[in-house]
Amino acid sequence: MSNYIPTIGIEVHVELKTNTKIFSSSENGYGQMANSLTNVIDLGYPGTLPTLNEQVIKTAIKAAHVLNCKIRKKQHFDRKNYFYPDNPKNYQITQARSPIGYDGYVEIEIGNNKKKIEIEEIHIEEDTCKSAHRGNVSLLDFNRAGVPLIEIVSRACIESSEEAKLYLEKLRELLYYSNISDCKIEEGSMRCDANVSIRKNIEDKLGTKCEIKNIGSISNVGLAIEKEIERQSKLLDKGETFKEQTRRFDDKQNDTVLMRVKETGNDYRYFPEPDIPYIELSDEIINSSIAELPMLPDERRKIYKERGVSDINITKLIANRSLSDYLNLFLDTKLNFKEASNLLLGDISAYLNKTEKDISNTHLTKEKFIDLVKKVEDNTLTSKNLKDILDDILESDKTIAEIIKEKGISNITDSNMLQDIVLKVILENPDSVKDYKAGKDRAIKYLMGQIMKETKGSANPKLVNQILINELNK
Amino acid sequence: MNKYLDLSLQEINNLLINKKITPKDLVIESFERIEANKDLNGFITLNKEAALKRAEDLKDQEVTSLTFGIPIAIKDNIITKNLRTTAGSKMLDNFIPIYDADVIERINEAGMIIIGKANMDEFAMGSSTQTSYYGPTKNPWDKTLVPGGSSGGSAAVVSSRITPIALGSDTGGSIRQPSSFCGIVGLKPTYGRVSRYGLIAFASSLDQIGPMTRNVYENALVLNTICGKSKNDLTSVETNEDFTRLIGKDIKNMKIAIPKFYVNDTIDIEIRQELDNIITLLKENNCVVDYVDIKYIDKAVPLYQIIAMGEASSNLARFDGIRYGYSYENPKDINDLYLKTRKNGFGNEVKRRIMIGSYLLSGKNATTYYNKALAIRDDMRNSFLDIFKNYDLIIGPTATTKAYPLGQDLDDAVKAFMDDILTIPVNMAGLPGMNLPIGFSKDHLPIGMQIIGAPFAEAKIYQLASYIEKELNLDLNPNLGGDDNE
Repeated sequence: MSNYIPTIGIEVHVELKTNTKIFSSSENGYGQMANSLTNVIDLGYPGTLPTLNEQVIKTAIKAAHVLNCKIRKKQHFDRKNYFYPDNPKNYQITQARSPIGYDGYVEIEIGNNKKKIEIEEIHIEEDTCKSAHRGNVSLLDFNRAGVPLIEIVSRACIESSEEAKLYLEKLRELLYYSNISDCKIEEGSMRCDANVSIRKNIEDKLGTKCEIKNIGSISNVGLAIEKEIERQSKLLDKGETFKEQTRRFDDKQNDTVLMRVKETGNDYRYFPEPDIPYIELSDEIINSSIAELPMLPDERRKIYKERGVSDINITKLIANRSLSDYLNLFLDTKLNFKEASNLLLGDISAYLNKTEKDISNTHLTKEKFIDLVKKVEDNTLTSKNLKDILDDILESDKTIAEIIKEKGISNITDSNMLQDIVLKVILENPDSVKDYKAGKDRAIKYLMGQIMKETKGSANPKLVNQILINELNK
Repeated sequence: MNKYLDLSLQEINNLLINKKITPKDLVIESFERIEANKDLNGFITLNKEAALKRAEDLKDQEVTSLTFGIPIAIKDNIITKNLRTTAGSKMLDNFIPIYDADVIERINEAGMIIIGKANMDEFAMGSSTQTSYYGPTKNPWDKTLVPGGSSGGSAAVVSSRITPIALGSDTGGSIRQPSSFCGIVGLKPTYGRVSRYGLIAFASSLDQIGPMTRNVYENALVLNTICGKSKNDLTSVETNEDFTRLIGKDIKNMKIAIPKFYVNDTIDIEIRQELDNIITLLKENNCVVDYVDIKYIDKAVPLYQIIAMGEASSNLARFDGIRYGYSYENPKDINDLYLKTRKNGFGNEVKRRIMIGSYLLSGKNATTYYNKALAIRDDMRNSFLDIFKNYDLIIGPTATTKAYPLGQDLDDAVKAFMDDILTIPVNMAGLPGMNLPIGFSKDHLPIGMQIIGAPFAEAKIYQLASYIEKELNLDLNPNLGGDDNE
């Protein structure tokens, strides 16, 4: 498509999942009534001072760890001074000079190759408030003001839109799995900016970069980068030069649109925030934060693979963390993970989707699930049986045995009982018996069907098959 | 007119306990004194109705402490819920806060009654209370003179016995210098001793709230009330001590240092003579008094200007006309709103400091000036700490002059900073420092000395101060009185 080599760097802002805001005790929440989650600190009232939410520091330590960053032990906050209505103090508290994490990487798989996308730094900062423009009026919602953020800055080592997308997907998966953030791009809890430049030869110095701000989805990041490469290529082809710009991606036009040409030397007048003393991270807080991390996706993949889960199920499980977390409760048991994953992703998922429940809100205790998998595995429960009683299994405290009994589900493994039914069906269908004897395999399927009909689907198919063939061959 | 407010807190306390008087008598007397001395202009906003109601509420409560029922004036940069707080600026002329500063919660718990919000230099920027949007406060000793500043209203009100207690704030001398000009005891506590939550920030790394009182003992009592760690201020520090505990204790063998810079000949000769008398007194009591050098102390003013103005330029950015305070009407656009709000809302001194501060933090200047100033500040602090390895306290004058005429130095920004040349090093090093009245000039204007302690050594400052106070036994009442004033 292009004769140029692209160089891409990506900045990601991620809202941290904490109970309260970074510098005040206001709730950190989304989707509430405008300005209901605010106090005098969030509003930048005169005389107010920031406090520091320790949960933010711990969460940022986790982020630094999962992104393979070095963790800075002594750090401080800085003030970034600029006037904007969404910036209540007209300075933002950030970490300009001592980011909590630095020199990290995220590994992606591109084709069959692995590539490390290098992370320059992770720093902590506060979010601004949200503005909405209605004609001549601008409205401000301070619920977001002071929500904790981390900004993850990659090095300019990304070479294609594909790499960019893989990097962001990996990043989102890691941060989501680590309980660091919801990473919901549509709600703004993950926001991506891409810096794109192109050059003719690898020996050339980097071309003029343009920044595309606040792209609304990972696939749009890919599109935006491609469109931007295309735009820059056309200009260079024509021998034109251009200035550094800030652009945005317009998904209706499917193109990047100019916001402003960058002025030289944005002067934020950074200086150390005097209201927050320097932070000295102890080994204890670092270690205890890291210890709180749940198992990360790559390790889950590895274990599932080892325990016989199919590749497609692995992908589905990783995409559904609550099921993966549930399955992980059985890591130290001998549970058949293959069967268990089929159950979780099949009938149980269907139930959860239908009822809009999370698996943790069902009555599927550990013991019950082990029992269930076992009964399915040894065909004590047919898939038909399962469909009949799954709701009860998930909604009541009764054991599976109790439910089977209560529901009058016949004792499907009772071979004497099955034998009678098999004989009855053979007697009633002499033609099919004849066909079987003549070597027509279809006949056995028909007879099986009749038997299942007779048992209302509750017979153990394996056993039925065995008895039937036995009887026919007599 | 009653004269209860000329009595000591212990005497007032006895009258309250024995039901001879009620808090309401004290509040009424305060307002009578304000009325009789209207030209003093010590207050920006009076709290009469609420104060009388509060006095009424306290009437039947048990008298729990020496400060119970006592009228107090609050510098107008300390946030008071439902009571207008202007910081001496047009910018906040209509600002009625929705919360209380930490210190306000504490003085309320201690049963004190807020009489009003004391006048001050705009956003505490100035040392004569002449940059106030609400006009200058006068010096009770001579109403043609300045009271000092920026806590000039607080100093004048206590000096003229309108309230026995005031709270001030001190960034570069704003408690001590007006205390010196008005003849009262004013303490700037160790940085971190008192929560700054609810103090409208000027320079966050230097600001500190402190008590301004008629005498040493009462000062320590108020510090007992307002000190301590707050969950709202990360720079505040836990303290658990009684600051009166060393008052009256022997000072024999105390080791006192005087920085040579503090006795240079730019200091008014009368002030140096009064300080010499104190040195003689201390030596007679077997104290060791030595002259010492402190690194960079002579550079403290330019260092202070860099740090204080840099921080101020950022702290005052929030006054933008959007959420509270003055807002320019019908702006063309957002930049017009910012520009006109800040142009009309701030006075000249404030604008001057914001501009200089912004310049000092811009681009390379941040490293050339601000970061360098922080480094030298550390050196200066360490030099002070070295002195305290060998000495109990440091003394010197508080100001280079006594109170000067209103109108003087108003347009000389640099000269105005020189008022604070002896107090600024104490803020820069985060130390506690007190002004103690030690005498009068020939024209009967108060002269003060400064007592500086190691970090958190306020109790020792009170010990020495109480000794000198007792020995001198000065009459520090300017006797403005009320109707029966002669």
